[in-house]
Amino acid sequence: MSGRKPLSIRQTMSDLHIWAGLLAGWLVYAMFLTGTASFFRDEISVWMRPELPAITATEAPAVIAQRITDSLARDHAPGSALWGMALPTRRLPEVTVYWADPERRGLKRDMFDPATGQPMAVRATKGGDFFYEFHFNFHHMPMGLGRLLAGICGMVMLVAIISGIITHKKIFTDFFTFRGGKGQRSWLDGHAALSVIGLPFHIMITYSGLVTLMVMYMPWGLQALPSRADQAAVNAEMRFFLMPDHPLGEAAALVSVADLVRRAEDRWGPGSVGRIQINNPGDAGARIAIERQSAQRISTVPQYLMFDGVSGALLSAKEHSGPVAQVQGVLYGLHMGRFSDLVTRWLYFGLSLTGTAMVASGLMLWTVKRRARLPDPTRPHFGFRLVERLNIATIAGLPLAMTGFLWANRLLPLHIAERAAQEINVFFALWALAALWALLRPAPRAWVELFALTALALALLPVLNALTTARGTARSFAAGDWLFLGFDLAFIAFAVLVGVLARRVQRHRQRPGKRRARVPLVGGEAL
Amino acid sequence: MIHALTFLCALAGFAALALSMDRHQREILRHPLPRRGSLALRALGFGLLLLALVPACRGLGPALGATVWSGHLSLAAASLFILLLRWRQRAGG
Repeated sequence: MSGRKPLSIRQTMSDLHIWAGLLAGWLVYAMFLTGTASFFRDEISVWMRPELPAITATEAPAVIAQRITDSLARDHAPGSALWGMALPTRRLPEVTVYWADPERRGLKRDMFDPATGQPMAVRATKGGDFFYEFHFNFHHMPMGLGRLLAGICGMVMLVAIISGIITHKKIFTDFFTFRGGKGQRSWLDGHAALSVIGLPFHIMITYSGLVTLMVMYMPWGLQALPSRADQAAVNAEMRFFLMPDHPLGEAAALVSVADLVRRAEDRWGPGSVGRIQINNPGDAGARIAIERQSAQRISTVPQYLMFDGVSGALLSAKEHSGPVAQVQGVLYGLHMGRFSDLVTRWLYFGLSLTGTAMVASGLMLWTVKRRARLPDPTRPHFGFRLVERLNIATIAGLPLAMTGFLWANRLLPLHIAERAAQEINVFFALWALAALWALLRPAPRAWVELFALTALALALLPVLNALTTARGTARSFAAGDWLFLGFDLAFIAFAVLVGVLARRVQRHRQRPGKRRARVPLVGGEAL
Repeated sequence: MIHALTFLCALAGFAALALSMDRHQREILRHPLPRRGSLALRALGFGLLLLALVPACRGLGPALGATVWSGHLSLAAASLFILLLRWRQRAGG
C-alpha cells in the first residue's frame, strides 16, 4: 500500500459499509421482515387458529388458574416436576400451558381452553411463533448455530449502521432530500432516507436484539460463577423460569392456587397476574411462583411472589432488580415491544418495515452501482449475477413464502400427520421455488413475476379466508371482529404495496428516453 | 389523543426544521429567508420536537413516553418526507 494515497476515513467506512452490508444483508433482511411480522405474533397466532371463538368470556384469573392446575394434575401431567401457564390476555385469549415431560427432558406445551381447562380443539399450527422463532434461529438449523448466525448478523448490522452514519456526508442537509428518476442517485437518496428517518429504531432494535441473547454470545461472565446454583440465580433474575429443586419425596396436597392468585391480586391489583409456575406439585417441597404481568412496563425482568406450595406461606417477593438486570430487561423489553398499545405496536411495525426496506435498498444499491460499470453488460461476471439472483430470491422470494405459509394454514387438511411442520415445509418449499425461479428467469422478469404473484396471493387471502372459515370479511364486519377484519384490510394493503413494487419494476424496464443510453442491458432487457 | 398530540407536535417541528434549510426555502417559498429567520425556524423546530415529549410523558409516564416519542419522531419525519416529495412532484410536473 506504500505507493498509494491513504484512503480517507469516509472512504474506508464506505467500503466497510458496503461489504459488511452485503455479507449480512440477506439474512438481516429475513430477520427484519419476519421480526416485523412478529410484532403481531399473538394476533397471527389467533388468525391461524380460526376455530377459536372470537371473544372468550373471561372469568376471574384465579378460577382459570385453579381449573388448569386441576386439569394438569388429573389428566395431562401427573408426576411432572414442573407445570407452568400464561393466563389469558386481551391479545391471546387462551391459556398457554407448559409442563416438564416426565419421560424425557424438555418441556411440552399446548393451548388450553380457559373455560374447560382442556386442550383446545384447534388445528395444529405454529402460528405467529414460527415467524418469531425464525427471526433468530432460521428454523432448519441446530439451535446454537442459528442463534450464533443471528448474532453475527446482528453484530455486522451494527457495524454497517455505524459505518453508514460516518459515510453519509450530510445527514442534516439531506434529511428531506430525494432526487427522483436519477437511477443510482435516487437509490442512494432512498436508502439514506429509509436509514436516517428510522435511525433511532434501527440502532435500538439491532443493539437490543444482541442483548436478548447476550448470555449466549458472551457466556464467560456467567461461567466464572463458582456454582451452578449461582448461575441459575442469575438466570432467574432475568427470566421467569425457575428450575425445580429435588423433590423431598414426601407426598403432600397442593395448596389452592386460586387463593394464591387472589393474594397476588390483592398486592398488585386485579388482572395483574401473568404467568404461574408450580415446581414439584404433590411433593412436600412444592413451590408456586406467581408472576406479575409485564404489560404497562417496558422491562422484561420478572417480578414474582414465591409461595410454599403446601402451606401457602409467602417465601419471598421479587419486586426489584439490580441495575444490570434492569438494563438488560429494559433493552429486551424495548426489542419485543410487548408493552405496546395498538398505536405503539403499529409504530413498531412501520419502523421495522422501513428497516426491512433499508436493508433491501442497500442490497439493491450494490447491483445498481455496479451495473453501470460492467465491462460487458450482457454478460455480467459471476459475482454480479450471484448477488443479483440472491437479491431476487430473498427480497421478492421471502414475502411470497410468508404468504404461502398463511395459505397452507387454510388449505392443508386438518388431520394430516405433523400438520404444523407441514405448514413450515410449504414455507421453505415456496422459498426454494422462488429462488429457483430467480435463477432461471431473466432478472427483471423474475422481479416482476415474483412480486406480482405475491401481490395476487395476498389479495386473495381474504377470499380464501372467507371460503375456508366462518370468519370472512362480511361476517367479521357484522360481528365487530376487529382482528379478522384487520387482517383482511392489512392483506389488501400489502397486496397494493407489493403490486406497486411490481408495477414500478415493470415501468422502469419500459421507460424510454435518456436513461436507456446509459443503463446497460441485462439478459437482453433494460433495467 | 396522546399519540395525535405527540405526532402533530413532531410534524410541526420537522416542518420548521425543513423550512430553516436553504434548499427547502427555495422549493417552497421560492426564495431563501434571511439568516435570522432561518435560525429562528431552526430553534422553533428543535423546540417543537422537544415539546412533543410533554404530552407523551405526561400521558404514558417517562419510560413509555420517551419510547413512543421516539417512534412518533420517525413517523413525523417520514410523513414530511412524503409530503415534500408530493409537493416537488406537483411543482416540478
